[in-house]
Amino acid sequence: MDPSAGIQEPFDLIRLSLSERVFVKLRGDRELTGILHAYDGHMNLILSDVEEKIMIVDAPEGAPPGHGAVSIVKRKMEMLFVRGDGVILVSPPSRT
Amino acid sequence: MDDTTPPPPAAPASPPPAPPHTGSPTDFLKGVVGKRVVVRLTSGVDYRGVLSCLDGYMNIALEQTEEHVNGAVTNRYGDAFIRGNNVLYISAAEPI
Repeated sequence: MDPSAGIQEPFDLIRLSLSERVFVKLRGDRELTGILHAYDGHMNLILSDVEEKIMIVDAPEGAPPGHGAVSIVKRKMEMLFVRGDGVILVSPPSRT
Repeated sequence: MDDTTPPPPAAPASPPPAPPHTGSPTDFLKGVVGKRVVVRLTSGVDYRGVLSCLDGYMNIALEQTEEHVNGAVTNRYGDAFIRGNNVLYISAAEPI
């Protein structure tokens, strides 16, 4: 089956991911995975059972860009409201 | 005396042979739906994939998406929704 069947507009991709675990890339080097419960036209999201990954680049003073040590901080949240303007990308679970 | 077949006038410059790519930005976007594209975000990250659809906010749905940072593949997504405000440009990666 063609995975793009029934997608006429980008939000259809999100609608088809309701109640599924989605990957969300946010501004500020943050990523979320969680179960999508609701969304709106701003891409405000309600997620549950969320894990957030925060990439922190700890560059020493004067180090060239991209040469700092990257540390990853993870945290879990039961229920989360994501303001839409922070969203860069949402990827549903692969339907391959 | 009655030579009724005058030579055709020197080919007028006028009838334009339909230049291959003209039209509005909207025409371009309609033309690339279903094609491979490169979407660059203002952050400099590139997403290469098949454009399944887009809307008036330039929200984008991509299939078979590869995330490229500094030329290296950093992630793959079966489907991806990209929020339009992050988009810098959409480039056709195959002939339209």
